[in-house]
Amino acid sequence: MPEYKGMVQPLRATPDEMRKIFAEPVPDEQKPEKALEYLDEIRKKFRSFVVAMESCVKCGQCAENCHTYLGTRDPNNIPANRAELIRKIYRRYFTLEGRWFGKLVGAEDISLDVIESWYSYFYQCSQCRRCAHVCPFGIDTCEVTFIGRQLLHWLGITPKLHAAVGGAMEKVGNHTGLPKPGIIDTLEFMSEEIMDEFGVEVEFPVDKPDSDIIYIPSSADFLLNPYTLMGAGMFFTYIGANWCIPSTVTEAGNFGLLFDQYYTQRGNVNRLLNAAHELNAKKIVWGECGHGWRAAKMYVPSMADRPVRWPLTHVHDEAAELIRKGELKLNPENNPYPTTLHDPCNYVRACGLNDNMRTIIKAVTVDFREMTPKGEDNFCCGGGSGILFDDPEMYQRRIQLSQKKADQVRATGIGKDGHGILCAPCSICKAQLYPMVEEHDLGVEVKGLVDLLGKALVWK
Amino acid sequence: MPCLNVNGVEIELDEDGFMIDPDLWNEDVARAFAASEGINELNEDHWKVINYLREYFKQYHIAPMVRKLCKETGCSLKYIYDLFPSGPAKGACKLAGLPKPTGCV
Repeated sequence: MPEYKGMVQPLRATPDEMRKIFAEPVPDEQKPEKALEYLDEIRKKFRSFVVAMESCVKCGQCAENCHTYLGTRDPNNIPANRAELIRKIYRRYFTLEGRWFGKLVGAEDISLDVIESWYSYFYQCSQCRRCAHVCPFGIDTCEVTFIGRQLLHWLGITPKLHAAVGGAMEKVGNHTGLPKPGIIDTLEFMSEEIMDEFGVEVEFPVDKPDSDIIYIPSSADFLLNPYTLMGAGMFFTYIGANWCIPSTVTEAGNFGLLFDQYYTQRGNVNRLLNAAHELNAKKIVWGECGHGWRAAKMYVPSMADRPVRWPLTHVHDEAAELIRKGELKLNPENNPYPTTLHDPCNYVRACGLNDNMRTIIKAVTVDFREMTPKGEDNFCCGGGSGILFDDPEMYQRRIQLSQKKADQVRATGIGKDGHGILCAPCSICKAQLYPMVEEHDLGVEVKGLVDLLGKALVWK
Repeated sequence: MPCLNVNGVEIELDEDGFMIDPDLWNEDVARAFAASEGINELNEDHWKVINYLREYFKQYHIAPMVRKLCKETGCSLKYIYDLFPSGPAKGACKLAGLPKPTGCV
């Protein structure tokens, strides 16, 4: 069902697909009542949500700062208005003025139509938090989208893509459904490719007990991003690390953050800690995945079911630290083309990776040009929070959502001659931008940052 | 649920047009998919890609890395897009009867 009463919607998971991720769909006639019950429960727990419900004065600061609104010009995609889709229900049932004066104070009765509007608009928001970044009251509208999607999930409404990812994680420990033999075959292929192209011997150990480092790659790297995998393997080999990839968690992403923070996100966290425990690892190093790094860095300690005895770092943190100490010999000439950096939202607005990414990119390229705005002010790629839907209506919407990014890239002048590099060090950004740079005819190639680092390493 | 009728056999497809039961695949199914993808005729290179994908999937239960597909079949990514306009995942994998790739792809 691509549309509901004129609103675009992603394909939704079937009841069977929902059951695979431990959610029991609620029958339509019970959905409004259940939605209220769940909303009541959740508002009592999350102060961040209540702040968003109670404090917004509709100043409009968020509107022009939201790439979704800029790309679609749909008023419901203004963050304040998107939040209003829930706020009007919150007001009707949980505030005095709403109970007494109803529509006069902007309150509305819950209905299936309202729930369907949540499904449309909370899955056009990419949870990028640029609106939160500019809100004078500090309202984090992403928290509202989180809760909107959580309510929908409990009602049994989740996109097919997100549910499939949850199901694959349950089954094999990654989002793309890669079983261990496939993982090993691809890693052996990577070793051969590194030997062919760079002439160095790099092994990718899997499930090696007593590894100092377990590296958590994004599983999309195994299908689409060869240089990200190769770059990480070369980096760990270069620094002489005792490392491995755990076959039970070949996934840096955690879609639980994006649609089900109760069961799915928590389950993934504990799966990770089990892997670290079983391999007797000393440290966990994260691969290129924006939302996944936020889920790991910011949520693992509070969601873990045990004390977390492993330091958790990002591969960019590791590399930047060594670059600052002068311990990596790098030749930026190996990345000769003009390069710009797309900042993954979760890295810069949630995890403080801003400086470290720049430390690396400036050391490994000869012609680095910032886009405007940059860093924590940067815009989302338009695919954030996994809204990588490819049914025709939603795909058209993705092109609109990436318009702002396309304008930013074009303004750098990179790609005019067809030789630019758009560095986008996150799997969702990559998956969104691979087709979008073609749709917008930008003349740039999309690469990760570890990709560029691997190429720049100078071997003894 | 959408279906594809091939030689009198109803083949169930998911909403994205991929086969639900890959065991029902045969060459005529690939030809029927080709027609729906706007590919007039499957030539030798189409079959090379389709057969490689099927063999790989049989062994590993997953599609190969796109780079490996290109290397093993000798087809550049651009040429694969010429052969299968929807690309390696949504085009070639569909014709080969593989399930739709999921995740950040």
